[in-house]
Amino acid sequence: MLELYLPMFLMFAVALGLCCVFFFGGQLLGEKKPSPGKLQPFECGNDSDGAQNMKMSVKFYLTAILFVVFDIEVVFIYPWATLFKGLGWVGFATMLTFIGALIVALAYVWKKGALEWEN
Amino acid sequence: MSLLGNVLEHYVMLAGLIFAIGAVGFLIRRNVLVQLMCIELMLNAVNLALVGYNRVHVGDMTGHLFAFFVIAVAAAELAVGLAIVIAFYRLKSSVQSDEADALRH
Amino acid sequence: MNLLFPLSPLLVTGFGALLLMLTEAFGTPRVRAAAGEEVVDAGAGRSGELALGAAVVLLAGAVLSVAVWLAGPAASPELKLLEPWLVFDGVALFMSFVLCLGGAFTALLAGGYLPEHQIDRGEFFPLLILATLGAQVLSASGDLLMLFVGLETMSLAVYAMIGLRRGSARAVEAALKYFLLGSFAAALMLFGGALLYGATGHTDLRGIGQAVASIGQPESTVNAGLVLLGLTLNLVGLAFKVSAVPFHMWTPDAYEGAPTPTTTFMAVAVKTAAFAILMRLLLTSFGDERAMSWGAGWPPVLALLAIVTMTVANLIAGRQESVKRMLAYSSIAHAGYVLIGLVATMRSPIEGQASVMVYLLTYTVSTAGAFGALILCGSRGAEAVSYDDLAGIGRRHPAAALVFTLFLLSLAGMPPTAGFFGKLYIFRAAIDSELYWLTVLGLLNSLVAAYYYLRVIVSMYFREPAPGAPVATPMRSGLVTGALVLAAFLVLAIGLAPATPLAMALGSLTGG
Repeated sequence: MLELYLPMFLMFAVALGLCCVFFFGGQLLGEKKPSPGKLQPFECGNDSDGAQNMKMSVKFYLTAILFVVFDIEVVFIYPWATLFKGLGWVGFATMLTFIGALIVALAYVWKKGALEWEN
Repeated sequence: MSLLGNVLEHYVMLAGLIFAIGAVGFLIRRNVLVQLMCIELMLNAVNLALVGYNRVHVGDMTGHLFAFFVIAVAAAELAVGLAIVIAFYRLKSSVQSDEADALRH
Repeated sequence: MNLLFPLSPLLVTGFGALLLMLTEAFGTPRVRAAAGEEVVDAGAGRSGELALGAAVVLLAGAVLSVAVWLAGPAASPELKLLEPWLVFDGVALFMSFVLCLGGAFTALLAGGYLPEHQIDRGEFFPLLILATLGAQVLSASGDLLMLFVGLETMSLAVYAMIGLRRGSARAVEAALKYFLLGSFAAALMLFGGALLYGATGHTDLRGIGQAVASIGQPESTVNAGLVLLGLTLNLVGLAFKVSAVPFHMWTPDAYEGAPTPTTTFMAVAVKTAAFAILMRLLLTSFGDERAMSWGAGWPPVLALLAIVTMTVANLIAGRQESVKRMLAYSSIAHAGYVLIGLVATMRSPIEGQASVMVYLLTYTVSTAGAFGALILCGSRGAEAVSYDDLAGIGRRHPAAALVFTLFLLSLAGMPPTAGFFGKLYIFRAAIDSELYWLTVLGLLNSLVAAYYYLRVIVSMYFREPAPGAPVATPMRSGLVTGALVLAAFLVLAIGLAPATPLAMALGSLTGG
């Protein structure tokens, strides 16, 4: 039975081996000439500056939260879309109601200013 | 029969194990964000169990359907939870639930 | 297909919530933001009208529930199309009425409380209606999936309603605690549901019931261990929601930290909905002879829960200095009495269920009234919290003290108030089921409880505030007064004509 999985294991082994070759090969074969400039953390050409744990503005969380909530609703639209023909008009009306509720929520969020990036 | 013996039992055992890890983590950790992650872990264990059980209860897709709803509701729950955690962090500058001590008598 | 009328109690709350959401967001605030201040919420200064809108929607839900109940669910065969997802039977309609009533009380109280205490946030009212909708769905659900969706709709809205006062450490803490424990409980219930599905192949409560009833027969393939584990997890989850001891730790903190209208909603609607679904789950899915027997079923577990809940809650309630916290413990104790009624369904299912339904109704009006009176006794910066704050209210504000006394007497179970008959029916059902010792313990607990209710009355009438101590000044609000008048009317009406709600509850069960 297990031999059915042999190709899969082979693929894993090859993938892992290839990674190792690239990673360690680069380290072993490459030439290293460290200098202070090279050892600095890279930050788009600027000198690095500021605290390590940067404080993020709360609007990132707000946007992320809204994204997650609206994004996940596709979980209901996807099965409906695959069975679109079979579900007929009843399914269509149901989905329209659902999307209608989502639109109301979107209008609410918009009017409340949660989508404004400024201020 | 399936390829590797009784696969269902493996799924359910794995689900139970993940659920237990989540529950224990929720109870012993005091970092609210970790506790939130533990709740997500528990919900995902539920999804695994539901989808796993759907393999024996063939004929309808109840288990899969249920899992979809769990995913969607978990996202909404997380959104509300994170909002509360942010409000808490703004007041206390900490995400340790031990800091929630204003209501102890 | 004519589903609009029988489903109208749900439709009116659902669409009402969406409408109120838009009204709130697209209106103009009545308050101007001072320079440098936080942007004023669109609902600011409009709590009064939004509260009125929410109360109208919820009262319409209550009236429509009664209308559909009077027409009889049997008159609408279309409702069968919704089964097993939603079982909109007489019991569900009765509960829908109680829930909408509790929600309407909350809306009116919030309309006075929020502006008074400068928590001027219009979101409260759409959230309140959505929470009520979730509670209605929860109490009517006939499937684990709908149960979960209803439970979460209700809970998520309530979490937000607790944390409304974002600047207050106590409110945010209360929200955090309730959120963490509530989601944990929901996850436990969900895993229990998955196990029940795995063992029986059904998520609808009736299908689970048939599979559970087949346990023990030779051809049955149902794994009894999985069923037991699933039931236990579901019981624990619901015990969290009804705040039965030992799953009550969050209750006093969450009730105390939340704005008082939210506390009212949690004590009233959340508890009612959780008891409604607990009753449906136990009697539909675990209603076979063996699961309901004393020797091999759930009744002894619930009886133990009832005893522990009543006793512990009453003993701790007597030691509280904060009246709000005392009312929180009192609501835990009342959960214990309702559990007695649930245990009584063991031998007299109809009477037991009817007593639970009537008790939830009387508890709703008395508790909403008591919290409302507490709100009325305080004003900005001088909220009535402790017994000392209430000292002398009887002289300074006789009307507030009078209604408060009425609701406390009802909670204590004194005739001729609604609470007396609620307890009477519960204990009568328990005696019918030969649960004599449980009845005796319940009665003893009611006596203990009378002590701390009377203590409030004594504070109000026979004590004066210490010189120099801060005194609570009663607030003025037409909405709060209206809610109190309605609640007081219902408490007295049910107390004077107790046969009507009992007949309604019995009729819901027998389809008459």
